[in-house]
Amino acid sequence: MEQLIIVVAVLPLLSALLIRLFATRLERGVARISVVITTLSFLLSVVLLGWSFTGDVPHILSLGNQISVLLFDPLSILLTAIILGISLIVHLYSVRYMAEEAGYGQFFVLLDLMTATLLFMVLAGDLITLVIAWYLVGVLLYFLLGQDTRSQTAYRFAFWTLITYRIGDIPLILAAALLYNAYDTWSLTIIFNEIMANPNAHMVLGMPLTQVVAALIGFAAFARSAQFLLHTWLPYTMDGPTPVSALMHAGIVNAGGFLINRFAPVFIHSGDVLNGIFVVGLITAIFGSLLMLTQNDIKKALGYSTMGQMGFMIMECGIGAFSLAIYHMFAHGVFKGTMFLSAGSVINNARQDDGIPKDELYTFAVEKQANKARQPWLLMAAITLAVPLVILVFAHLLIEQNYFQKQGAVVLLFFGWVTGAQLIFATYRMRTQNIWRLVGLSVLSLVVVVLGYVFISHAFDLYLYPDPEFRKQLYSAASINILRFDILVAITALIIVSGWIVTYYAEQHGYRRRQHTKRLWLNFYALISREFYVSDIYTRLTRILLGLSARLNVWLRWL
Amino acid sequence: MMADLILLLLVSIFIPLFPMSMVFNAIVDKITNCWIRILIFSIWPLTGLMILHFSSIRLPDWLTYLALGTSMLYALRILTLREVNQWTGFLATSLWSLLWLAVIENTSASLLYGYAISMSIPLVMLLQLSAGLEKRYGAAYTGLYGGLARSIPRFAGVLVTVVVAAIATPFFPTFFIMLDLVVATVSSAPLVAIMLLLIWLLWSWAGARLIQGLIVGRASEVDIDDLNTSTVSIFSLLLLVLAIYGIYLSGVIL
Repeated sequence: MEQLIIVVAVLPLLSALLIRLFATRLERGVARISVVITTLSFLLSVVLLGWSFTGDVPHILSLGNQISVLLFDPLSILLTAIILGISLIVHLYSVRYMAEEAGYGQFFVLLDLMTATLLFMVLAGDLITLVIAWYLVGVLLYFLLGQDTRSQTAYRFAFWTLITYRIGDIPLILAAALLYNAYDTWSLTIIFNEIMANPNAHMVLGMPLTQVVAALIGFAAFARSAQFLLHTWLPYTMDGPTPVSALMHAGIVNAGGFLINRFAPVFIHSGDVLNGIFVVGLITAIFGSLLMLTQNDIKKALGYSTMGQMGFMIMECGIGAFSLAIYHMFAHGVFKGTMFLSAGSVINNARQDDGIPKDELYTFAVEKQANKARQPWLLMAAITLAVPLVILVFAHLLIEQNYFQKQGAVVLLFFGWVTGAQLIFATYRMRTQNIWRLVGLSVLSLVVVVLGYVFISHAFDLYLYPDPEFRKQLYSAASINILRFDILVAITALIIVSGWIVTYYAEQHGYRRRQHTKRLWLNFYALISREFYVSDIYTRLTRILLGLSARLNVWLRWL
Repeated sequence: MMADLILLLLVSIFIPLFPMSMVFNAIVDKITNCWIRILIFSIWPLTGLMILHFSSIRLPDWLTYLALGTSMLYALRILTLREVNQWTGFLATSLWSLLWLAVIENTSASLLYGYAISMSIPLVMLLQLSAGLEKRYGAAYTGLYGGLARSIPRFAGVLVTVVVAAIATPFFPTFFIMLDLVVATVSSAPLVAIMLLLIWLLWSWAGARLIQGLIVGRASEVDIDDLNTSTVSIFSLLLLVLAIYGIYLSGVIL
């Protein structure tokens, strides 16, 4: 049965080949080949996913020699189904969307090749297949983003993507080479088994090999998942076709989370690296969300929203919640894919009628007119702080009694609590006939979201990492000294609650600001509007490098 | 000792080492006949390897760094080159200088010849395409006319694939050669491995700039002959053979 996975992975390649051969004869009909084969591949992957629930996994499938191996395990089969599901939607959407574009057949060839490459990436059972697929994703994405060969802008930003991806290839290749030298095999399964048996058997530059490899894998993931300082390509690649944006934001950009999950046995022995990953994810989540809020272009705002979400996904890996990152990847993929594919029609409809009802929510959120009548603030503050906490604690206790012994779980709860409290805090001053009904509905929606999130993520945990000891090890690896942890949580809570109090008093006394505070805000806004000058710095560095290249050519007389 | 040095200087013309590498590029610059240029590209590194094979030069330790420096220098310089023949010559210099690393790693003679040939084939194909551009537009120059993807799509398709093959992309042999060199050096000399990867990155950058400078843009208003299907088939077949050899090579060297 597991042999079917080879068919699933090869089918998109077959589709690309058939389109290439019959493109001139079939013209626009080539899309039918692509859609039918992708549908078939997707259905097979769903059958395999169902079969994998029987627990008869993992399997290793050789394609002929030791460096072409596919790994059939819960992670690979789940991601195979997700990739094919998203790819199928993008295919269906593209049939009409791309119909007027030149290079229709070539677009479907590239789309099928990209699907196949992504499948080989998640199914790779050896380092060579993984490196090849990892590398090719960047190359294919470059050509997909540059589908409109008339547009210099599309190619300019496609190039940003390519170069960032190539930078991300460097640490992965180094990690693969180090692992091969240490274990004398390309097989991921053998390497992971040896690492589990004896994690500190090899040293590199005086450091344990596992830590060096984990750090390199982390860097590779950062480039692919647009983490801060390696993020500039993501919001700017909007000149590519919308289906490609959808595929990129819903699927390709998540590859960082996959890579960290694939190397989970290495990360178990690299706690410090996980802490570093958490910090990078946190910074990315904050900066991505901040930049998203200041955009006035819907697609760019979506781009920065993806950056923030990727930060959150990487952060989840950093606290040891590896399977949660995969669930996040899936949920975000579906959500963001839908948003991209519907962005065009939303803009089109909004040009005729914005369709926004001028109700209480509009008055509150858009016109920023809060309710003048106040509820007793102590009561509201108590509800704001206590209710989300009770819901979260209750939901988590339902699935695991000793949940709070994991630091990662506490971090997630903390984030859930802040978000939930923020929701209630933000809504209770809306102009409404019945404030208690509104608060009640907010709490109910929070209960539904939290319970859904907790139960589904727990199911992902059990499916992806069935060994409870392994799950425990992942959380322990990400843990830090308990005193430091408690101090950090207390400080963060203090900062957030202080922020709420400041906001509350500012609202009570109006938004009058002193001159110097105004200037500070203005400078801060300028900083954000220039996106922290990150792309400006890169552009300057690029010019310096190209200037050096040109000067060298002149000095050496072009020889 | 002196004989060794003279021989080394001679070989470094053919398997480029800076500053002797300038000899090759000066020759490429002077020759205008496409077929002679192709012949030179085909035999150049093989000549160096043959001299090395039939002599017994003791290679100094610093050679690795000089070879890497040469490769890095030319990889950096390609970034701002716009003339396609010159671009191909510089890329050849950057690629072939890495043969020294394979020599130092005691790679077998037959494999070394395989490396040299598989590095040169995409370059030779690129020279052919460059001649095609000169014939159609009067010059093979990036950023001058552009829009090849719209004006002559078959030509543009072949050009893109050949450039992709030349800059060490899977499944072409240079990709596996680079991977092999990184694997061979990463533990004993991590700095060398990192330099190799940076050179590889510069090739990708230069390749993307070349592609963008030629294929992107509006279609030419004048009708220009595209490649005929039989020529496209020959190019495709050659690229397919090269990719198959790459896959075969991966089984042998990795």
